[in-house]
Amino acid sequence: MQDRSSSLAAPTASSGRQRPADTRMAIGQGLFVLASLGLAGIFLLQVLDAAGTVAIGFADWRPVLYAYLFWSVALCARQVLVRGEEGQKALFVLPAVLFTVAMAIFPTVFGFYIAFTDWNLSSSTGMKFNGLDNLRSLVNDPFFWNALGNMAFYVAMVLVQYAIAFGLALLLNAEIRARKFFRVAFLLPFMLSPVAVSWMIGKSLMEVRFGPLASLMKTLGWDSPAFFASPWIARLSIMAMDAWVWIPFVMILLLAGLQALPHEIKEAAKVDGATGWQSFWEITFPLMLPVSITAIVLRIIFQLKLADIVINVTSGGPGGATDTISSFIFREYRDRSNVGYGTMVAEVYLIVIIIFITLLLNLTARFMRKPD
Amino acid sequence: MKLNVYQQLMAMQASRRALLRGAAGAGALAATASPLSIRTAFAQGDIRAEILKIPGVGAGSPTDADWQKVGELCLGGTKQTVQQGEFAGVELSFMGLNNQNLHNLLFRGFLKAWEDYTGAKITWIDLAQADYNPRLQQAIATGTVDFDILEMGAPFEGDVCGKGLASEMPDWVKALIDMDDYVDYLKAPVGTWGGKTYRISIDGDCHNFNYRTDVFSDAALAEAWKAEGHQGEWGVPKTWQKVNEVTKFLKGKQLNGQDLYGYLDPLKGWGGFAFYFLASRATAYAKHPDDKAWLFDADTMKPRINNEAWVRAIQDVVDLIPSGPADQLNADPGTTGFQQFLAGIGSMLSWWGDIGSSARTSDSSVVGDVVGFDILPGSDDVFNSKTGKWETLASGPNYAPNMAYIGWGVYVMSRVDSDAKKQKAAWSAAAHIGGKDLSLWTAAYPSGFQPYRKSHFNIPEWVGAGYDEAFIKSYLDSESNSYNHPNAAIEPRIPGIFQYYSVAEDELAKIFAGANSVKDGADAIAAAWEKITDQIGRDSQVKLYQASLGM
Repeated sequence: MQDRSSSLAAPTASSGRQRPADTRMAIGQGLFVLASLGLAGIFLLQVLDAAGTVAIGFADWRPVLYAYLFWSVALCARQVLVRGEEGQKALFVLPAVLFTVAMAIFPTVFGFYIAFTDWNLSSSTGMKFNGLDNLRSLVNDPFFWNALGNMAFYVAMVLVQYAIAFGLALLLNAEIRARKFFRVAFLLPFMLSPVAVSWMIGKSLMEVRFGPLASLMKTLGWDSPAFFASPWIARLSIMAMDAWVWIPFVMILLLAGLQALPHEIKEAAKVDGATGWQSFWEITFPLMLPVSITAIVLRIIFQLKLADIVINVTSGGPGGATDTISSFIFREYRDRSNVGYGTMVAEVYLIVIIIFITLLLNLTARFMRKPD
Repeated sequence: MKLNVYQQLMAMQASRRALLRGAAGAGALAATASPLSIRTAFAQGDIRAEILKIPGVGAGSPTDADWQKVGELCLGGTKQTVQQGEFAGVELSFMGLNNQNLHNLLFRGFLKAWEDYTGAKITWIDLAQADYNPRLQQAIATGTVDFDILEMGAPFEGDVCGKGLASEMPDWVKALIDMDDYVDYLKAPVGTWGGKTYRISIDGDCHNFNYRTDVFSDAALAEAWKAEGHQGEWGVPKTWQKVNEVTKFLKGKQLNGQDLYGYLDPLKGWGGFAFYFLASRATAYAKHPDDKAWLFDADTMKPRINNEAWVRAIQDVVDLIPSGPADQLNADPGTTGFQQFLAGIGSMLSWWGDIGSSARTSDSSVVGDVVGFDILPGSDDVFNSKTGKWETLASGPNYAPNMAYIGWGVYVMSRVDSDAKKQKAAWSAAAHIGGKDLSLWTAAYPSGFQPYRKSHFNIPEWVGAGYDEAFIKSYLDSESNSYNHPNAAIEPRIPGIFQYYSVAEDELAKIFAGANSVKDGADAIAAAWEKITDQIGRDSQVKLYQASLGM
């Protein structure tokens, strides 16, 4: 103890320049402790007030938000005051981390709490904890499983979109006339909102009575070109619209990959007498695998969120044939104000997506390592 | 066309489409000639006659300028109760719908003169029909009411008034809007909660039956009807049994080169609102004259949706799917009403009064001269839920018009009560929209609202506006006979009613698509309804349901 106190005292006594640094550190530390205590205290008071243990009369949870904001500022200040230059570097990332915690991580964690409650907005008794009831309901809910089955189909269709996008990318990478024009033109659908697409195409072009596409089909001999009346035609119609929006996205990724390929290899293959197909299958396609897998994985992530086109055009019909998990959650929330159960579906779906994407990434990583 | 006729029509700014309605041209002449001559005949002070000629029947859809003019002419009540500039500095927020570009869009025009006169400023929250329920429900549940005036249907009174979110109507407003003039079914308990009055009615909802007169007066079809061995004369069906028979008969037939279709069922959900259309079919089967309840058992809230009456109604819909237009599975009520029936597709339709008020006043309608109206069809027999047996009434078919949604009303929120000036401003604005004279205009023109006051059924006023007497009598009779029917089916004003309807729509979609049987689907709806009742609270739901039925 004696040794330690003397060693601690030594620098203070020996260097006057250390004093301001110590003061700064103490201020930083003190500010942070104060803010932390404030946040904890206000949170505790709000909880007690909400539970009815104390009667403070908070109108809402904004005091906790303000305390969190103050705590965030104190944390950032502490980084600079205590850690100096290292702390300044941390400030490049810290605000984004704090924002993510507030806007993504906290709502997700809080969502788990809501998922285990019976919370119907019309209920006079408000939110009630109901254990695993929502989970049990979900397991026995045919609408959930039906929507999940549809999602499997929609995800599988990403491969078809990928194949078409690859073909278009090859075309646009070739020496064709007006190549720049086509590149821009093919990108246009991607610039449109899927909501606009669902109205322009699903509710106008494909409208059975006056839609030009329906008229064309009638001319070609389809008596009643109803694009959304039977399950499989409706699913394929939804996928056609989805493809129209998203193929350009995949195509542009693949085109960038194609343009980055070294020309020498293809030229060497040509010299060696490889046919066009051999050149594609043996050289271009394998070299494009990393880009392809990135494009497919990204596209699957987007696809798992499919909702807007379905909600606007079919509302999940006919008979749930085009329903997606997101559109089902949308109905549970919007039409039925069933917040507890809707949140459970959303949280379970999030877990399913995380597991699926993790497996997919592991699988593709193994697949990519195979040639080594 | 004679030159003077052409010039007269041009002077009225009749739409090109209205002029091109072929046979309707003659009718248009008759309809447009009278208002012009009558216009000069009315005295300046006769506001009702004056506003009914804005823009005039057959002169195309009204515009914002028309709505503003109507609002200005109907400002008398405001001037009686408010000093000019009295509400300077007051800002009010108004939440309502923008369906079919109506509702709030009209209110803006109506309230323009009111804002200019009083000095108040109104900001608007416009919502699509499907977004309305969740927006309101969230505001109620989370205590985030961010509007001062609300357009709302009576089914939500349990949620809003029952939770103390609405402001009680002051006596001066009651006197100003003449509540005694409401049709009887809109009087208390509708609009009240715990004995207090909260609502200014601006609409009186019921589903009526719209049919094509040209189809049911066609000699060739009458001949074919007989030739195919159908019983009775060819004519407008009076029962749902006949509606189905006629619809199947019309499949594959044509009139004037156009394919004919019979009754139009909306088979796609509409945020809960499509359920009303099944209910309109079911009431004749399920609403027994000796029993006020028809949707749930009044003492337990046990759903009746899977009893024999409702299952039969659902089966009726399923039976007609092969006889309907292609893609009917993807048709919601907006489609059946505005894109099909008013556009000339289909011969029969249940809808709110919008079809009648739009048939001759909307640019999108081509059936104005060939549409007739009646109360909803009845049934040869009715299910007695208490005995579990079908009964044939001595009085003939059982009729039970569906008072679907009980009409829109305007409510002032209690958050204005702490500020006397703001409270008076909010009620003044609401009273202006719900004024007696202004309401005649909204009943006569596309507005989203139908007749709801006794004074709306004065046929000479409508004829003065340019309506054909036979047409308007048919329309108004269908409305008043529905409102005043002794066996009318009243909708429950219970919290969460649209949750019940929404979940039913999901199950019905499966039935209509053939993914589930009618009985199994109905049982699934019943199970889901039981769950919702338990979630919201069975005891309170029973109490509110009984109160809404006047039990």
